[in-house]
Parts: sequence; structure tokens; C-alpha cells
Amino acid sequence: MAQVTLYHWEPNANSGKPMLALMEKGVQFDSHYIDMLNFDQHKPEYLAINPQGTIPAMTHGTRVLVESTAIMEYVNAEFDGPDLMPANAQDRWRIRWWMKFMDQWLAPSFSMFGWKFFVGPNALAAHGQDKIEAQIARIPLPERQTAWRKAVFGLFSEAEMAESGRRIGVGIQMLEAELGKREWLASDQYSLADVNGFNLAYAMPLSQPHLANDEVTPNIMRWLRAIYRRPATRECWKLGRTPMASRVEILEQDYIPPRDESEGISSGVR
Amino acid sequence: MAMILYHGEPNGPSLAVLAALGESGVDAQCRRIDLLAGARHTLPDVTEPLARDMGVEGEGPVLVVDGEAMTESVFIAQFLDESGANTLQPKDAYAHWQMLMWCRRITERCAPAAAFLGCKASAQPVLAGMDEAAFTALSTTIASEDLRARWTAVRAGNFPDEQLADSVTKVTDAAKKVEDQLADGREWLMGDLTIADFETYGWLAGMVDLVPDAFAGKDRLSGWLARVAARPSVQAALARASVPNPQSSWAPGPEINRWG
Ligand SMILES: N[C@@H](CCC(=O)N[C@@H](CS)C(=O)NCC(=O)O)C(=O)O
Repeated sequence: MAQVTLYHWEPNANSGKPMLALMEKGVQFDSHYIDMLNFDQHKPEYLAINPQGTIPAMTHGTRVLVESTAIMEYVNAEFDGPDLMPANAQDRWRIRWWMKFMDQWLAPSFSMFGWKFFVGPNALAAHGQDKIEAQIARIPLPERQTAWRKAVFGLFSEAEMAESGRRIGVGIQMLEAELGKREWLASDQYSLADVNGFNLAYAMPLSQPHLANDEVTPNIMRWLRAIYRRPATRECWKLGRTPMASRVEILEQDYIPPRDESEGISSGVR
Repeated sequence: MAMILYHGEPNGPSLAVLAALGESGVDAQCRRIDLLAGARHTLPDVTEPLARDMGVEGEGPVLVVDGEAMTESVFIAQFLDESGANTLQPKDAYAHWQMLMWCRRITERCAPAAAFLGCKASAQPVLAGMDEAAFTALSTTIASEDLRARWTAVRAGNFPDEQLADSVTKVTDAAKKVEDQLADGREWLMGDLTIADFETYGWLAGMVDLVPDAFAGKDRLSGWLARVAARPSVQAALARASVPNPQSSWAPGPEINRWG
């Protein structure tokens, strides 16, 4: 079988989606860690694989694939192992709908907080202003340049942050309601929507402790713990190298009480 | 399983889904609704409205199946294809990934731009002409706060120059992408006819009049537009129009990427 190589950062957000999908399918792959805070994703070696300079990317033999959700769909269709898409066409539609909603509406709002409070300040502390300016100038996608500038120099506007905060609140309520309808997010079986959603939501009890906890979102907590118990999830999170990944251990607690919003930001790598 | 497809004038995502329905051979009842009257937000017999309320696409078609409102034109097209003839998606996983990537480029970059330009040209005058009470009544039926804000911006004629210029660039990029993709003489975007052809056609056909420079001198693109238009499924969709130029009917679409 042709060799599979995955270029990824921490098991989190976009990188974590294909990582966990590969683990669930039982596909052997070469893990290639790209340190995002060290700007590995803009180095020539990586740009030769993905000229866009974003993570993740996967190669399968001579094929090169990008876009985390689309990679997951490829992984599910191409390899043997448990099917992560159900047979029913309406269920598959619902899975795709939720993944698009999370990828394009909800996740960017979470990541705006993550970039403002974690990615930007950490990268600035590690490299200093001059080196960062030079790094940003080398980013191939103009919209990623803008994002990095805003994150590093604290330029997200209050209106932008407020809108992201609003979406996080709405999105968490939507997830809670949906998980009240069935065991898994978008169908009656564990699917790519759950893999996607876990990567978005696993640290919410830490980063949004006022919005996601055993009192206000019991369905979300049940769902997160069920995914955390899966052997593939355990294996996947072992590939993390920073405190970001170890946040997942919060799910070992049987009861997580509500906490103040301010405790979220201070505890958190989001 | 009774299916009802609520669609706007055959343009944009409504056209893409109507064409996919025709190709699929699936039996669904089609009902044209007036998107600019807000009809999409008050559909009867919807017991699961979430996807209609919170969909990223904005005023796209809604397929109601067993009370569940299904939205997002690419995914409705996949559903119809998988429920019917199963001819519009590559069987090979990599070719399928390529089709999905193509559709994402269209829905994420071209669609917001096309909807923005289209709304400025044709939806703005309609919404601006509504009286305050009528518009308020309409907008309170829109569940999503950000979609409601896009309606309000269209009515107010709030189309910043920077976003207009960016939208023209994105439409131009999409037109060029089609022209380049056809360079090897292929008939359809992915080789065989797929959902990508209809999704792309839906968003681009109405741009020929609005951004003519994007299409000028692109013979392969023009040939492809004519081939898609000639498909019986597209002809049947266009026959559902209630206006002479459905390609100039627009309603608020996907948002322009918030990250810039
Ligand atoms: N839509 C893409 C987005 C990929 C993406 O933007 N990844 C982020 C990390 S989660 C990235 O590469 N950032 C690096 C940078 O902006 O320099 C996907 O889902 O794969």
C-alpha cells in the first residue's frame, strides 16, 4: 500500500481532524509534526508540499491532499476500517452540514480567541517583534498574513471579538440541543461529524467554563467523555507535544462545575 | 418519503440544486418561493428548522424531507444524487476529493462575492422599496443574527468599495479557474459531469452581465457555460422561472470571510 504521511501540528482544530480519522480507521501513517508557533508551515520544505502554507496536509503515495474535512472524507472512503459515514443519505447530508457549519461559522470564532490569547502572544514571546515581522511577510496567503498580524499585535477589534463570542455562545447551545436528540452529533453512529466536533469542542470546559460544563451542557459533556474514552482518541492525543493537547485530560473528571468566564481565559490555551 | 424542494428563481444555489434534481431522477415536488419576500423563513410543516435557520449559504434552496429542512446546495445535490441516479460524483476517492475542493473554492470564495454583487444590482432596490413595518416584520422571521444583518445591509445599500473590488476579483478568479481547468480540452470541470459544474454555473451565470471583463476573451469558459445551459436538467430548471431574466435574481448569500 502507498505510504501515508500526515503533516500536522497539535491534535487540535484542523490538524486533529485527519489525525483522529486516520487513527479511527487504523491506517498506519508517518506523522510529521509541524510546529506552527515556530512557523514550520512557511518553511520551503513544507511549502513544497502545500504552497498555501497551512496545516494539515497529507500525502498518499504521489497524491497531495489539503483541507482537513475533505482529507477526512478521503481517508474514510479510501481505506478499510470502520465506516465513519453512515449508509443513509440523509444522515450523510446532516454530517456534511454540521461539518461545514463548524468549519466555516463556529470554529473561526473559537480560533479568533485562540489566536488572540494564545497563538499571537506565545509566538511574539518566543521570537520577538522583528523576527515575527519578517516571518509574517513570508506567509503566502494574504488572509493568513492579516490573521497573524492581528494576533501578534493584538489588533482584533472589540466588535470582531464580540461577534466571535456571540457565535461561540450560540454554537454551544446548538451543539447541546443537537446532542439531546441522539447519541452522536449528526447521526446514530459515530461519524466524521463527531471527529470534527471533538477537535473543536474538547477543551471548551476549560476555555469556556461558564458555557460548557456538567450543569448547563450535560449532553455535550456526555458526548465529549464518550469520544475521549475511545482508544483512537487516546492514541491521537499522545501525539501532542504542548500543554495545548494535555487540556484533553479535563475529560477524566466525572463532574465539571460551572466556573467564571475569566477563569477560562486565564487557564487557557485557546 | 415525500420531498419538497423550495427554491428561488432558477439562479445561484437554487439553479444548482434544481439541475442536480433533474439529473438525479429523484421525485421531489418543486415549489418556487419569493426569497426576497422572506418566504424561506416561514415554510410550512418544518419540524427541524436548524439547517434552514443557521446554514452558511444564506438564502439558498431548502429541501424538506420528513419535516427536516435540508440546506447547503452542494450537500443537497449530493443527497439527491445519492438517493437517485448516482452519476454526479466521482467514484474514485481522490477524484471525489478534487470535486469537493473545487466546490469549496466556489462556495467559500466565489459565492459570497457573486451574492454581494448580485444583491447590489438587483435585491437592493427591492428591499429599499419595502416600507419599514413590512421589512421589520420580515426580518423578525430570520433566526440567524448575522444573516439578518446581511439583509439589513442590502436594504440600506451598504456595499463598501473595498468589498465590491474584492468581490470583482473573486468572481474574476473563479472565471479564470474555469478557463484554466478546461485547458486540456475536457468537456466538464472534473472530466465527467459532476455537481461542480452545476454549482459553478449557478454562481457564475449571473455574473456575465455584472462583471463582463471577467469573461471577455475566455472561449473555453463561454463554451462550457453554453454546454451547461444546454443540459436538459438546466433547461427544465430555467423553465421554472417567473421572470424573463432569472440570472439577475439574487438574495442575501453567504457572508464574506470574517478573517479578511
Ligand atoms: N480550512 C483549512 C484551514 C487550515 C488552517 O488554516 N490551519 C491553520 C492551523 S489550525 C494554519 O495552518 N495556520 C498556520 C498559519 O496561518 O500560519 C483546513 O481545514 O485544513
